[in-house]
Amino acid sequence: MAENRDSKDIKDTRDFKDRKDFLSLVFLMSFMSLLFSPSTINAAPPDLFVDRAKEWGLVFTYSSGRTGEFYFPEIMGGGVALFDYDNDGDLDVFVVQGHSLAPGAAGKLGPESWGRLFRNDLITKQGRNPTPRFVDVTESSGIRASGFGMGVATGDYDNDGWMDLYIANYGSNQLWHNNGDGTFTDVTAAAGADDPRWSAGATFADLDRDGWLDLFVLNYVDSSIQKNVVCYAPNSRRDYCGPQAFPPVPSRLLRNRGNGTFEDVSIKSGIGRKAGPGLGVVADDLDGDGWPDLFVANDGSPSFLWLNQKNLTFKEDGLLAGVAVNAAGKPEAGMGIAAGDCDGDGDDDLFITHLTGETNTLYLNQGGGVFEDATARSGLGAPSLPYTGFGTAWIDFDNDGWLDLAAFNGAVNLNGAQWAKGDLFPYAQPDQLFRNISSKSGGCRFVEVGPEAGVAFRTPRVSRGAAFGDVDNDGDTDIVVVDTDSPVRLLVNETGSRRPWLGLRLVGKPAGTKGERDLLGARVEVLRKGATPLWRRAATDGSYASASDPRVLVGLGDVPDVTEVRVVWPDGVTESFPPPPLRTYTKLLRGTGKALTPPGGPK
Amino acid sequence: MRPAGLLLALLLATPEAGPVRFPDLSGLESAVAGQLGEMQRLLATQAANAGSYGDLGQAYLAYSFNDAAVDCFQNASRLDPRNFRWLHLLGAAQQAAGRLDEAVTAFEKALTLSSPPAETAAANVHLGEIRLLQGRLDDAEAALRKAVAFPPTAAAAHSLLGQVALARRDFHAAAEHLEAALAAVPEASRLHVPLAMAYRGLGDRAKAEEHLAKAGAVGLRAPDPLLDGVASLRVGERVAVMRGRVAAQAGRYQDAAEEFRRALAVRPESVEARVNLGSVLALAGDRSGATEQLKEALRLDPGNVTAHFNLGSLLADGGVQEEARAHFEAAIVGRPDDAEARRLLAKVLRDGGQLPAALAQYRRAVELAPGDEAARLGEAETLVRMGRFAEARNRLDEALGLMPGSGLLTHAQARLLAACPERAVRDGERALELARGVWQAQPSAPHAETVALAFAEMGRCDEAAIWQRTAVDRARSESPARLGELNRALAAYDKGAPCRP
Repeated sequence: MAENRDSKDIKDTRDFKDRKDFLSLVFLMSFMSLLFSPSTINAAPPDLFVDRAKEWGLVFTYSSGRTGEFYFPEIMGGGVALFDYDNDGDLDVFVVQGHSLAPGAAGKLGPESWGRLFRNDLITKQGRNPTPRFVDVTESSGIRASGFGMGVATGDYDNDGWMDLYIANYGSNQLWHNNGDGTFTDVTAAAGADDPRWSAGATFADLDRDGWLDLFVLNYVDSSIQKNVVCYAPNSRRDYCGPQAFPPVPSRLLRNRGNGTFEDVSIKSGIGRKAGPGLGVVADDLDGDGWPDLFVANDGSPSFLWLNQKNLTFKEDGLLAGVAVNAAGKPEAGMGIAAGDCDGDGDDDLFITHLTGETNTLYLNQGGGVFEDATARSGLGAPSLPYTGFGTAWIDFDNDGWLDLAAFNGAVNLNGAQWAKGDLFPYAQPDQLFRNISSKSGGCRFVEVGPEAGVAFRTPRVSRGAAFGDVDNDGDTDIVVVDTDSPVRLLVNETGSRRPWLGLRLVGKPAGTKGERDLLGARVEVLRKGATPLWRRAATDGSYASASDPRVLVGLGDVPDVTEVRVVWPDGVTESFPPPPLRTYTKLLRGTGKALTPPGGPK
Repeated sequence: MRPAGLLLALLLATPEAGPVRFPDLSGLESAVAGQLGEMQRLLATQAANAGSYGDLGQAYLAYSFNDAAVDCFQNASRLDPRNFRWLHLLGAAQQAAGRLDEAVTAFEKALTLSSPPAETAAANVHLGEIRLLQGRLDDAEAALRKAVAFPPTAAAAHSLLGQVALARRDFHAAAEHLEAALAAVPEASRLHVPLAMAYRGLGDRAKAEEHLAKAGAVGLRAPDPLLDGVASLRVGERVAVMRGRVAAQAGRYQDAAEEFRRALAVRPESVEARVNLGSVLALAGDRSGATEQLKEALRLDPGNVTAHFNLGSLLADGGVQEEARAHFEAAIVGRPDDAEARRLLAKVLRDGGQLPAALAQYRRAVELAPGDEAARLGEAETLVRMGRFAEARNRLDEALGLMPGSGLLTHAQARLLAACPERAVRDGERALELARGVWQAQPSAPHAETVALAFAEMGRCDEAAIWQRTAVDRARSESPARLGELNRALAAYDKGAPCRP
């Protein structure tokens, strides 16, 4: 056979006039084939996000502890925090952990069932992008997070300049005080910060504007392993229950006394008087009165908008505000929350992730605490219908100056097709990235980014918590994602830093401060020559069960001429700062800018 | 027989039909697996035709095997391309699977075929829903305008047109459409929310709040003659229980009872179905039927906490206190942290005169649920009955410290301070302040009566008489049975000081 083929080739070459012509033709043909090969015609753009978790040493798998008994917590965890616990200027990672809830299993749990702390040793070499290297320092840190982990919140509750950690569990929670020397101490009991119920997350926020971070503990439902409720899918197959099978539990509000302890003001504040199955929370000034409000996404029940009455009491006004239910008047299964200014009008809009069969929902802030469900015209509704969303955030992934959106998905009800293929945990779904196209179309409109988001983004997994931040300090937003029973992902942004950006850390020295601390809730207005201002907020909360980078990263797109940066600090004082240098992080210290507060004092 | 073999047989027998992704039937309730397995077998053993695929597709759709249903309806419409039914069901299955673009194609194709007006209107409603989800508001409106012309689908089409208008921020049109939908189906309480949003957009906050106060969980669905029968194909206890729960949550208690009875027909020993049946019968007002079902549930499962709780509530309401008490106690044994059960047990004990035992239960209920106003009030009332007035006042003060906005507790404290049998506990001035606050929040006969009591306590009998007249006037419509008692007090106030003992 080989001989014959060779003969034929020889015969064919004889048809050409001379060797030169033949070579020209071969060259031409190969050039043509290059031109028209699929890789040239449809040249796949490089992935926008690449998973570098393993490469950079972030090796961890969240265990659902699934037992086959369909214990409800198995399907709901867990979260992750991006925070700079050692104040070395880069983001470290804490991931909560689950474990088997089977009776008798608790006594057999070892360190593999603890939440884990990874220190980021960012390697910076001249002329090269910084490269993170993560080291598991759980044992030396003293953190023993042995509860069934759900969510995590970060904040410097004692104003000592070091970020502390609050872990929300199925069962008792833990407050870990950062000692500033790489170690943490469990101060839960001494601080009065526990909640023995099922907490899905928490947020630190200075709700009474006294300079100390208060703590909102987000509670879910009263579900007991001992009296496990049996539920079935619509096709009659055994499956996980929904929240309707259990009584909802009120959340808890703890006022920071300023002496390392908290006072339970749940009932007095009104928060504890209304039970709801909460899965997402943000503290944000949503009615524009200068005081942080609380938005709670409830699972299958109307969401709560707790409006701050400026005396540490709250009025729930979700229905009239237009954020409790969707445009049809129907409560949805609220999980993750993104709060940010997607339409560039200076107030924060809300995006909530929901269950398969429901859309994710976008509530546009029309000012003064009035929201409108803008899902239909935003382009975010139909693409989300097949998926159950959890972690989410507004991120300007391409630094074009408009907030894009990421949603991390994973079902809570069994997928029959995956079951049929023998998948023992058939709840996987792809994640989604949406590009903000408001600059072209106005309003707040999005298109889903296709395969170029990256294989790591599109491969179906059972995603839950996601934390957002610039892990490699290169000026764009990266993402750490917790996938149930799969290795954690570190989705590194490969594109954003190509455009100019501004990095800001908003800090202050409130009363009793031993160092500087991030002033969570501070709002930034970036003024540019010939362009509309950009509004961003320093926050760690939102998403699902997770805590994100408190720094503010502002993509400047094609208009890098910053003329001024204004900061509205959490106490209402506004200051102006000269344009900071581009493509680096700058610390803005409260009190060092030019005061802009109008006569009469802050709001 | 496993699906793979069936699939091969189908492909050989029906060259025009595509493959069907048969769902895995393992783990399903035996009645469901049996039903679907039998239908799959029947399909395999006969010459493929549209009807067979359509039947199987509907069964799959009934159990939310949406992708398999899509395959079946695609085959049915290939084999019988002029039949509206298959394309409509195909669209519905694709819509349920979230495959919206494909669903639009199917519905649009269906609408090119002739069909009865009810089916055409239903297809247009589906199209409108999908186009609204996709943000294609003009297309949504066009489809819904056609559906609104057909009376049975008009209400649902109006409600969706209202949402289209809201998405466009055309609040006037939204209010018009949603008012029309609610006028046709007043039970659709969920629609009060978008209607409130429309009025809010129009600047009429009072009307918005009025509608939000009426908002509930009952939605509105357009009749769909081809799809409505699909749900009834489901068999088995579990699915019937689930459907019953859905109906109960929507306030359709009769439908819910029917579903729970269907579940019991399949599995008479199902405690869950029986407890649910008892509960919805109670909600529907059939107390004896409810009692019967709950007692039977307890015969089958003597420790069932929900049955004990619900039966206890029923009996307590009916005045059968001793029996109710036993059921609440049993519920607490099963669920010691159930604050509501403890509060109800406390009430039964208090009404039965067992005050120390009642107080202990109230106290535990308050510990478990510090924000439970009813438990707080019950505790204070029990203390009053025990003659421990000062303690009652202190506990109410404590509760009001936590819940300063509670009308119930404020009123109770105002009454106690105005008319406590123990003079040292009284405080007319504070009583007046509290009573006025409650009256301002909610004018009513009892609240006016409390203001009068406070004035009387302060010796201001003329003002007491004025307020008592207000109470009498209001009681004529609110509570005529109390008129005699109120008039007697009025006569005492009219006599002048001292008008209080």
